[in-house]
Amino acid sequence: MAVLTIDNLAVEVPEGSTILEAARSAGIHIPSLCTLPEIHHSPGACRVCVVEVERSRALVAACVYPVASGMKVKTSTRRVREARERVIEFLLSDHPRDCNICQKHGNCELRQVAELVGRREISVPCTDFSVHDIDDSTDVLVRDMSKCIHCLRCVTVCADVQGVFLLTPEGRGFASRVVPAMGHCLADSACTFCGQCTVVCPTGAIVEKDHTDRVWAALEDPSTHVVVQEAPAIRAQLGEEFGMAPGTLVTGQMITALRRLGFDRVFDTNFTADLTIIEEGHELLHRVKTGGKLPMITSCCPGWIKFIEHFYPDLLPHLSTCKSPQQMFGALAKTYYAQKQGIDPATVFVVSIMPCTAKKFEAARPEMRSSGHRDVDVVLTTRELGRMLRQAGIELAVLPEGEHDAPIGRYSGAGTIFGTTGGVMEAALRTVYAVVTGKDLPSLDVTAVRGLDGIKEAALEIGELGEVRAAVVHGLGNARKILDRLAAGQAAYHFIEIMACPGGCVGGGGQPLPASDEKRILRAGALYHDDKQVQAIRQSHENPAIKALYDGFLKAPLGKKSHDLLHTRYTARGI
Amino acid sequence: MAERTASMAALKAIKQQVNACHAKFRLRLMICGSNDCHLTGSGDVKSSLDMALQETGLKDQVQIVETGCIGSCSMGPVMTVFPEEIFYMKLESEDVPELVENHLIKGVPVQRLMYHDPVTGQAVPRRSEIPFFALQHSFVLHNRGLTDPRRIEDYIWRDGYQAMFKSLTALSPSQIIAEVKDSGLRGRGGGGFPTGMKWEFCASTKSDVKYVLCNADEGDPGAFMDRRIMEDDPHAILEGMVIGARAIDAHQGYIYCRAEYPLAIERLTCAIAQAEAHGLLGRNIMGTGFDFSVDIYQGAGAFVCGEETALMNSIEGKRGTPRPRPPFPAVSGLWKKPSILNNVETWSSVPQIILGGADAYASIGTETSKGTKVFAVTGKINHIGLVEVPMGTTLGEIIFDISGGVPNNRKFKAAQLGGPSGGCVPADCLNLPIDYEEIVKAGAIMGSGGLIVMDEDTCMVDMARYFMDFCQDESCGKCTPCRVGTKRMRQILENICKGNGRIEDIELLESLSVAIRDTALCGLGQTAPNPVLSTLRYFIDEYNAHIIDKKCPAGVCADLFESPCRNACPVEMEIPAYIALVRAGRFDDAYRVLKRTNPFPSVCGRVCGHPCQSKCRRGQLDESLAIKNIKRFITDHAAPPNVETLPVTRSEKIAVIGAGPAGMTAALEMKKRGYAVTVFEALPEAGGMLRWGIPEYRLPRDILAREIQDILDTGVALRTGVKIGKDLPFADLEKSYDAIYIGVGAQKSMLLGLANEDADGVMGAVEFLRSHSLGEAVAVGKSVAVIGGGNSAIDAARTALRMGAYSVKILYRRERRDMPAIQVEIKAAEEEGVTIEYLVAPKEILVKDGKVASLELSRMRLGPFDASGRRKPVAIEGGEFVIPVDTLIPAIGQQAEPDLICAPGIGMTKNTITVNPDYSTAHPRVWAGGEVVTGPAMVIDAIAAGQKAAAAMDKALREIKGEAPWKAVQEKIDIPFEVDEDTVEQPQAKMPALAPENRGKNFAEVELGFNPETAVREARRCIRCDAVRGQ
Repeated sequence: MAVLTIDNLAVEVPEGSTILEAARSAGIHIPSLCTLPEIHHSPGACRVCVVEVERSRALVAACVYPVASGMKVKTSTRRVREARERVIEFLLSDHPRDCNICQKHGNCELRQVAELVGRREISVPCTDFSVHDIDDSTDVLVRDMSKCIHCLRCVTVCADVQGVFLLTPEGRGFASRVVPAMGHCLADSACTFCGQCTVVCPTGAIVEKDHTDRVWAALEDPSTHVVVQEAPAIRAQLGEEFGMAPGTLVTGQMITALRRLGFDRVFDTNFTADLTIIEEGHELLHRVKTGGKLPMITSCCPGWIKFIEHFYPDLLPHLSTCKSPQQMFGALAKTYYAQKQGIDPATVFVVSIMPCTAKKFEAARPEMRSSGHRDVDVVLTTRELGRMLRQAGIELAVLPEGEHDAPIGRYSGAGTIFGTTGGVMEAALRTVYAVVTGKDLPSLDVTAVRGLDGIKEAALEIGELGEVRAAVVHGLGNARKILDRLAAGQAAYHFIEIMACPGGCVGGGGQPLPASDEKRILRAGALYHDDKQVQAIRQSHENPAIKALYDGFLKAPLGKKSHDLLHTRYTARGI
Repeated sequence: MAERTASMAALKAIKQQVNACHAKFRLRLMICGSNDCHLTGSGDVKSSLDMALQETGLKDQVQIVETGCIGSCSMGPVMTVFPEEIFYMKLESEDVPELVENHLIKGVPVQRLMYHDPVTGQAVPRRSEIPFFALQHSFVLHNRGLTDPRRIEDYIWRDGYQAMFKSLTALSPSQIIAEVKDSGLRGRGGGGFPTGMKWEFCASTKSDVKYVLCNADEGDPGAFMDRRIMEDDPHAILEGMVIGARAIDAHQGYIYCRAEYPLAIERLTCAIAQAEAHGLLGRNIMGTGFDFSVDIYQGAGAFVCGEETALMNSIEGKRGTPRPRPPFPAVSGLWKKPSILNNVETWSSVPQIILGGADAYASIGTETSKGTKVFAVTGKINHIGLVEVPMGTTLGEIIFDISGGVPNNRKFKAAQLGGPSGGCVPADCLNLPIDYEEIVKAGAIMGSGGLIVMDEDTCMVDMARYFMDFCQDESCGKCTPCRVGTKRMRQILENICKGNGRIEDIELLESLSVAIRDTALCGLGQTAPNPVLSTLRYFIDEYNAHIIDKKCPAGVCADLFESPCRNACPVEMEIPAYIALVRAGRFDDAYRVLKRTNPFPSVCGRVCGHPCQSKCRRGQLDESLAIKNIKRFITDHAAPPNVETLPVTRSEKIAVIGAGPAGMTAALEMKKRGYAVTVFEALPEAGGMLRWGIPEYRLPRDILAREIQDILDTGVALRTGVKIGKDLPFADLEKSYDAIYIGVGAQKSMLLGLANEDADGVMGAVEFLRSHSLGEAVAVGKSVAVIGGGNSAIDAARTALRMGAYSVKILYRRERRDMPAIQVEIKAAEEEGVTIEYLVAPKEILVKDGKVASLELSRMRLGPFDASGRRKPVAIEGGEFVIPVDTLIPAIGQQAEPDLICAPGIGMTKNTITVNPDYSTAHPRVWAGGEVVTGPAMVIDAIAAGQKAAAAMDKALREIKGEAPWKAVQEKIDIPFEVDEDTVEQPQAKMPALAPENRGKNFAEVELGFNPETAVREARRCIRCDAVRGQ
């Protein structure tokens, strides 16, 4: 342990701690912008957290400066305050002033830190701004480098967490900026659209493309039948948009809120999550039995799909051919549901509420039109739905709980846990075990695949199949590790679940901000709670709505209709 | 494949072989093979010599060697002939036959091609006698000019690799570190961190792998020290690195060199290959069992990659941006392994230290800065080149004694030390010793050794802007203060340079500098404000001139002036305009243009110090325009513009004391503004110093009288023979006049401060010239001695000569180049027979019968530099001598006569009146200007002072009545714009003058003036640099 003095306060912290950590442990909040310890990101770049260390010539950045016993630190002397004010002034002098119309309004760390630092004027000339073209090339993310404060968090999350290495600083001095590799626009790049950059960006430099206007338009169009599906994670996230504690389950309020917005039907993606388990479980069994490509890897995560398409195209045959629950939903909404309801599929408008930015890309993929129309019309992130509800003046917390509409709203606990890492695997194992052995798993809680470890493994004896080995991976950086092993023939698994985002969908690129691992764990906990305590049915194959779907429409898993509507193919892409 | 040099004996054997080879030749021609000498043609010279040796059969007697750079870059191509060490410079292949015939065959060196002393003009044959070389101390550069950098044998011949052998066999790692620590060697990259201490930290860090790195990413503007060491003595770096590797137990080294240095990389690559082939690098070095390999890493040239952590990132293949410290490289460096990084010069010092011992090294230099330092001296300096001096050498010695000072008689202004991280220090700092701590105190840093000399034509604000621009361009953009802060500072500086500066910008710049220094991530950002801080510290006047007066005194910031000549003129005469009118033959219009800004154009056409000419852009091509002479031509040949009586339109009355140029100009300007003006003059005629101080042979009386009459003709009243305070009490003026302007000049000679100055025959130059002009009976004796080096001294000497003196001597305490007098005047005096003795100063006036009889003089030598950038003369002890003198004229300066200006309530400092920027004094109704305020200055300065004071008086008087200040209505004169399509080099037209023999004992005007043909031809030389784009 090191004992040091901070603002005349004796502080004891472990060796190797930074001054920032030591100060925060002592209740002294040093403002900081660039550092993000959760992703091990401390470039010492923004210089907001400078403090005075006795006998040091210049001020030092508290976020990177290691403590030492006997060190004397002052965190708010005049010199420190003036320096911090200048740094903030520099940042503000090169930042657009249109805060009030910025998407990050209310969630902007620059504004929060500027407030803490307390700069009240800009005395340097700011006639010269960093002006960069806005990268609006995709329907998913919008990058506006004029709002960038060069914290480099996006670079680190993209490289070190997600292993994509797409974003990189280029240029020098004032002209330096963060760009996709080779200066390509996002549309031409190997971006997976996981959106983790939007999660870590302290300002509005990288945000999801807002599609709320499209939804408003559809809702206001009387000739359109607007249905909505919500991803599993949404019910565990949406409350945060309204100041509720992370991990608050708001399923019922969410349904009511969506109805009040004017959706004609409120369904649920959890339904197609159950369906995915049926299709994917049978696909796995089929592969195992017929000597198909193993391990089979899940395919519900669009960020992950784009990643493998770019970086490991040779491994594409390992992917399950199942579409994601979102797309299965879209296909069914415009076929099964439309038929059942007797309405023209062309008038059905499918809106998805997803904790994800990549879903926007997935919905727009050309192969996702098996209903004869674009299966999913608009994808909104949790944040966008929050915005819409606030626009509509709907106060989530006080709403009565509603119920999903039939026929594609009912779901099992297995469908719910899709929203967290390990959930798909757990749900699949429950059903596969039951299908193979005809019995339920001795314990439906497969705890080995839960939690935030980057790569989790489980092995299960499943009747005639013998030992089934499974791995669960979240975060594309971890995906890279397991794919490298797979490519090297060192991944003797039967089934692998891969989710692009750390923590799975509860940590998705569209999640409420600010995000943290702590919140991800609480959200996952809410989903497990829903599975165990709320839902009467915990296994997908037991969902009566699923049974009805097969009986009345699909006939059998992996059948012709399933093949047409619920399965897809993949495209090898360059880097 | 060379044999592996496994022992000391093998090294010695190579030495002997080289010696034997040298012994075969009678003469050895060492041609400098540096890039600079190549660019100026050393390759041609060498091949011509090769051919000549072939043809003359001298091939067996004379060897030609292409050596590394010897540092005298602006003298190239250079060649030294050994063994006599005869030095030739600026060689061309045409010189080769003469060289071969006379020197190589007949043994008679060719004087014409040698260095010539700039003062005496004498040829200096030997290299070691030329100040540039003689005053240096070669330590790091000890092989310069002696070896072929491409031959390892030459390096070994100079005791190369012996230090390495010693380190690997006789010294333990801790002994090596102790030796380096004891030597006092500090990092030559600029930081000055003690090298031995750095090594010790790294040695004490436990790790399986460590690295030794050489920082060769030299990137300061104007710096080329490291490059030259790499190109010319690459083995010294390698040897130093092996020694460092042994000290910390590293086995791999990297040299990080920018790809922009291809020759350095080529030479280093060659050296590495040779050293490996000889077993001096690589596995089992010299059979000692020690392994060490070196690789070169080529950087893309980002300046920030010279920062150690950015450099390491770059070697690791990452973006070259700095990483936060700690951890320090000695603990976690390249690839997170303990590493030591030193720059090229540091590494190449190491073998010498090990070989010569720490004590020998530590005996050179100052208390805290040991050894020598290599500087790349560039900029406005006569000998651009590489200079190595012991620490403690003064800046002035480097700039003036070694590097020959500032060219073209320009004044030294500042030296930029330490590149963009450093600072600009002014002439005050010429005695600054080269010492890490002292330089920091002065506001600069030692840096890696870039030394840029700036002269009076450099604008310091622009310079600060340039360096901020550089830092902004080279900033990696990672941290906020460097990315945005330097940009904002640059914008502020740019605003100032464009005339958009605000007075609060100064404080803002200081405050931003402090913040950036305090918060930036790495050295680049932390030091980026240094050039601004140092220029603010030393050149605040220039900032103020830009901000308040919207003027760039150096004539650099193009937005602040139309043309540099006009910018340099204190009254901003419309020089390009009247030159254009002369070219067009419209002489009368030209005269009208002259009179618009200057009531004394014919005076100024004769006696002006013409600061305009030194700024003339044409001067950068061949010679400046003869602006002064063209002006005189106009007044000689054109019809003077009509003068009309100007009506009195205002009730206030103005008194002007002193009818010199300042007073008369102020009177005219007030008259133009409608005031009734009366000028009071103590002497019988108006004109002041122009009438009484400047001899008639320079300024004929009628010429002056005409311009004074023009002023009187406007209605200005003149009362001569009235001395205020004596003939008329000042209080009377206060009673009768609303505003009073004092322009009484500096009418009294300064005293030498010696005994017997009141003896007969001693008379100050001003008094002497005035008495003569007044027609008083002044007599000069046979032997006249004038003390001083200014224009008054020359005037007095030439006047004395005309009055019949037998011999006139000017005695000056400095050197000729330091004389403030106009060069043409000095020459004219010499032509007429005045002799000038330099480096002498009067010590005692010896009197006989109350009359001066002789003068005891001290011989002087030049001591430390003074604030003017010149060396201060110091008496040589025992150098006294006596000369007979019967008339002694001290001309060492003038001052105002206190009794002339004893008006109550006026603030005085010493002998000048203290004024505010608007020429107002502490007395609410008194303004003052001219020499009574500034001390001795040019006529044009006095005119400017009169104009500015009048404007301020008028403004103040009108303000009382709530009126806006007067605005001149300018007569419209169409100015033609005509330039030659091609500019042909052509020198300035010579001013025709009376032959010295015809000047005799009369006071006829010496200079005769241009004829129309000459004037028009000269006017055509104007390149119209005032042209606005699109005109």
